[in-house]
Amino acid sequence: MTNSKWIQFLRHYGPVPRNDNMYDETIQRSARRQGIKPIEFEHPLQAEIVNCFSRVTLDPVSVILTGTAGDGKTHLCRQIWKALNGKEEEWASDSPYLTLYSRYPKDRKTWPGSDDPTLYRSVKIHFIRDLSGWAPQQGAEWEPEKEELLEKCCRSFFDPDTNDIFLIAANDGQLIESWRRLKETEDVKRARQVFEELLVEDKKQRSGARLKFFNLSRASSADLFDRAIAAFLRHPGWRELAESTPGQNELFGPKCPIRRNYELLQTELVCSRLRALLELCDYNGLHVPIRQILLLLTNSVLGHPEVKDHLMVPGDVPKVIADGTVSKASLFSNIFGGNLSDIRRQTITIFDYLERFQIGYETSNRIDNMLIFGEGDEHLGQYFEELLVKDRFYGADNRFYAAKNEYIEGTNESKDNASEFMDMLVSQRRGLYFKIPNDKEEELGLWELTVFKFSGEYLNSVLSVVKTQGIVKRPIVLRLVKGLNRVFTGMLINSDRHLYLATGGNYSQAKVSRLLLEQVSVDPSKGEKIVIRFDGPSGRVVLSVFFAPDIWVDFNLTLIRYEFLSRVALEGALPASFSKECYEDLLAFKSQLIAAYIKRQAREQAPEGPSIGLKLLALTEQGMPDPKFVEIVP
Amino acid sequence: MTPVPQPLPPPDTFDQSSSMWVDEAIWGHRLYDEQLPWMVFLEFLNVYIHEVEKNRAFEEPNGLNMLKYRAAHRLYLRNILFNNPHFAEIQLNYPNDSNRWDEWLKRMRSSIGIIHPQFNYVKGHFHTFGDFCEVVSLIRSTSLEVNSNKRWTSKFVFPYGKDCLYEDLDNTASTNDRRFFGRTGEILYLMLCRAQRKRELLAALVKRLKKTESSWDSIIKCLQPSDEEEMSGERANAFLPYEQHQSFDELAEDWLAILRLNIPGFDVFPHLVNLAGLHLIKYQLGVSRQVLGLTPLSLVCEVVAPKKTLVREISSDCYQENNLLPAQAIEKYLANIEMGAEWQQALTANGAFEKGKQILREKVRWGEDYEGPNDPIELFASLKQAAMKRHRQHVANIHRNYGREIGLVSKRGALKLRYAPTDTLLKTLVFANVENRSELHQFLEKLHRRYGLVFGDKDGERVLPKDEFDKKAFQANSRRLEQRLASVGLLRRLSDGCAYVINPYLVEVA
Repeated sequence: MTNSKWIQFLRHYGPVPRNDNMYDETIQRSARRQGIKPIEFEHPLQAEIVNCFSRVTLDPVSVILTGTAGDGKTHLCRQIWKALNGKEEEWASDSPYLTLYSRYPKDRKTWPGSDDPTLYRSVKIHFIRDLSGWAPQQGAEWEPEKEELLEKCCRSFFDPDTNDIFLIAANDGQLIESWRRLKETEDVKRARQVFEELLVEDKKQRSGARLKFFNLSRASSADLFDRAIAAFLRHPGWRELAESTPGQNELFGPKCPIRRNYELLQTELVCSRLRALLELCDYNGLHVPIRQILLLLTNSVLGHPEVKDHLMVPGDVPKVIADGTVSKASLFSNIFGGNLSDIRRQTITIFDYLERFQIGYETSNRIDNMLIFGEGDEHLGQYFEELLVKDRFYGADNRFYAAKNEYIEGTNESKDNASEFMDMLVSQRRGLYFKIPNDKEEELGLWELTVFKFSGEYLNSVLSVVKTQGIVKRPIVLRLVKGLNRVFTGMLINSDRHLYLATGGNYSQAKVSRLLLEQVSVDPSKGEKIVIRFDGPSGRVVLSVFFAPDIWVDFNLTLIRYEFLSRVALEGALPASFSKECYEDLLAFKSQLIAAYIKRQAREQAPEGPSIGLKLLALTEQGMPDPKFVEIVP
Repeated sequence: MTPVPQPLPPPDTFDQSSSMWVDEAIWGHRLYDEQLPWMVFLEFLNVYIHEVEKNRAFEEPNGLNMLKYRAAHRLYLRNILFNNPHFAEIQLNYPNDSNRWDEWLKRMRSSIGIIHPQFNYVKGHFHTFGDFCEVVSLIRSTSLEVNSNKRWTSKFVFPYGKDCLYEDLDNTASTNDRRFFGRTGEILYLMLCRAQRKRELLAALVKRLKKTESSWDSIIKCLQPSDEEEMSGERANAFLPYEQHQSFDELAEDWLAILRLNIPGFDVFPHLVNLAGLHLIKYQLGVSRQVLGLTPLSLVCEVVAPKKTLVREISSDCYQENNLLPAQAIEKYLANIEMGAEWQQALTANGAFEKGKQILREKVRWGEDYEGPNDPIELFASLKQAAMKRHRQHVANIHRNYGREIGLVSKRGALKLRYAPTDTLLKTLVFANVENRSELHQFLEKLHRRYGLVFGDKDGERVLPKDEFDKKAFQANSRRLEQRLASVGLLRRLSDGCAYVINPYLVEVA
């Protein structure tokens, strides 16, 4: 069975002990050896990065690619090497440091019309494609020639006449660490400061430094996912498998879970729900590298808890079918690493991130009623039929019915029985997250299946709206303002037309703040307004509070903060563990707002009045603010 | 570690009647455990404002340890705020505004500590009695230790300005009491007088206090009669035994860093208080180690873990060891006298007992009440006992009491005390030590260098013996610190192995 080579190859992208396909170098090698095309797609930044050296550029500067492991740094280096006609054999060598020459116009203004060598200057491009492999181990000394090279590199950042430029790929920790271990020359110090600034402030360039900085960890995971899944699904290996006309119980036959999983991934619904999770990760400040996305896709198709390494090989398929454990290979469970041991799963970034949604463990009464009592029910029956019975692979199978029956009517009170059914419920709820159709999303409370109950709204009514310059619905803005008011005053305030900025008198961050400084109008009024908008450069959704057309404060409205404020507005409070970080963030936001308020007041040049006025905040029985003005005559 | 500098003798003008002079000779007159850091800060402000008005802040113009100042009593204000339980009842039973005033003024005639109390002036400042009640309750809610059950004469309004400062008084509100103003604030003041950057500090303090919201101080003023405030008699006899010391300089540096932060006016006070407490602990323990000739101080801190960890054990041992340092310093100090030529000569001379007594009177001001056998050896043994007993009463508890109060020492989640800094203290440390941002490892290194605080494996390895050190445990400890800092918005993690500690309140441009 020649076609199974693809599955064998694919396995290496997954969570196997020797995760060979983690590294661009090894993928290239094993792909050549086995005659299989690796999964490849264009990185969203590829064109921009390659163009830093191509004919688009007249006066090239050094480029640093940083990012987390698996972000595609080496891959991008190779694309540049290819674009500059570097030799493939040289690249295939083990050396982490390579150089080549490229020519650019001498006047740095236009490409000359002729080939006259005097019109060009030759620039040496130093590729340090793996800084950590090249720099000495921690604690070891620099080799003099390497240290010299990096010193030259630092000089080149600040010397416009240099004919040496560098391309360095390194994760940010290593970059800073390596630079700290260099001799402290002026240029080294300056370079380090530039790195720090660019990294921490998320910038690409700084004036005065001939350097471009690409932090691949800032790329959108959802965007990477779109590209990765397309490349994954259209890999010719799948077509060859399908064309091999396998038998009933064989690999990629009609009963094969691998085939089923592959087909499920192709459906619009599954794909978009998975994408939503990655997009939500982005807006929670969690970046998923390419390598982790490929690992996720591979695991979701090949996972099974009871085979070697928890990933199926072609030979496992007939056995899995014969044993009746096809349902354990469920894509819906594999997506969350359900096929892996707890310890293994916790060490893998993507599963750690997805676990934070608590899908499978979060639920609503409606969903659980449907799962447990839905069969044959007047209202819920149709959903049970649609979502569980019709799914012949991972829906309600005989094991599920038996366990359900035992749970409802059984006499065996042992814990084991119940816990088996509970585990099944977990995987059914996970399935539901991917099966509930879009038009039933609200009716069945799809997002109640996650810990972020408001994430559906966040995606559909906030993110997609602001990204297209739309205006977020007023009730949403008002709800967030109400949440802010409750945090800022420490009272169960119900007002949402104004933002109440209050302090404790002697401490601006007092838990209960009764002293009202200002009410900022939500609707535009005299330069004041509160809006939710998309901040293009940072790619963030922000809540902006305007005190005047030119004085405003932005608050990065991450998913978790959105959830926090929404719940505070609707329910009043949150469990402590969830709220601490958000609470601190909000207090810091309040300080910024107070500073902005003071800035605006400074402009007013209010005359020193004969009396001192205090606005004391109290609430009516309905929770509406009832500020009391007290005047003191000194 | 540098040896302890030559201690200064108490000036001749000093009140000689005070009791034994041992703790005082080592650390000053005096460190007092019942005066917690906020009270230290208040006492400091009393001295500071007095000296600012005399145009000699941080100067000591009459020579070292010659500080003399007066403090206010503000009994009208204090009676209104803390000895006036009438509001609720009056508002309930007297519907009419003028009746309310009348009734209140009548009741206030029995105010304590004032001869012929007259509160009529209050009326002119408020439109209604209700307004007056609102304002008073707001001020009360922001006063220090609002819910403590201290006597009313030991309750303090938040230091909004100079009109809010006064000294601690006894029950009858007639004489000053050293219970909560035990001179540690004077020590703090003298420490800053002898810091190298005191001029800068003075400028920064003046600037910061000027920028605080002045209306609060004006409101507090409205609660006091307009005639000149009566001041106390002269307060003297503050004593700090060293002309200079590293901890004085470091305290001033930290205060300077905090004063430059771009945060609303009064929000700097809690940080100043925490740092005052921390530096007083550091001063006491540091000087002890100098007296004992030991290496610099280490405070191994646990970042609270859900379970018992090795770091917790080490931290708790470290706490125990440090806790004994001051007592050991006392022993050493006395041993130095005992081994000194003077005492040894006296032992062999005629009239050894009388000579010995004379020596102890001069050196430690002790012996008048001695009733034991006329034997110099017995005499000295008795001195040691008395000195330790006295030390244990108050000075020995600074480390524990101040440590707990500022959030450095705690029992949280454990049975024994150890160093386990709270988020609040960590915040203060970040604000004092990070100007804009600092790489995490550098931040930890700085905390170790300046305060002896140990969190991570690098510093742990440096200070601990090989068999006690466990790299993994300390790495886990600094990872927890990282998470804690991130959770309060003070740390930005980039990727594996690279994190920056951030001070979000960027230092003001001068």
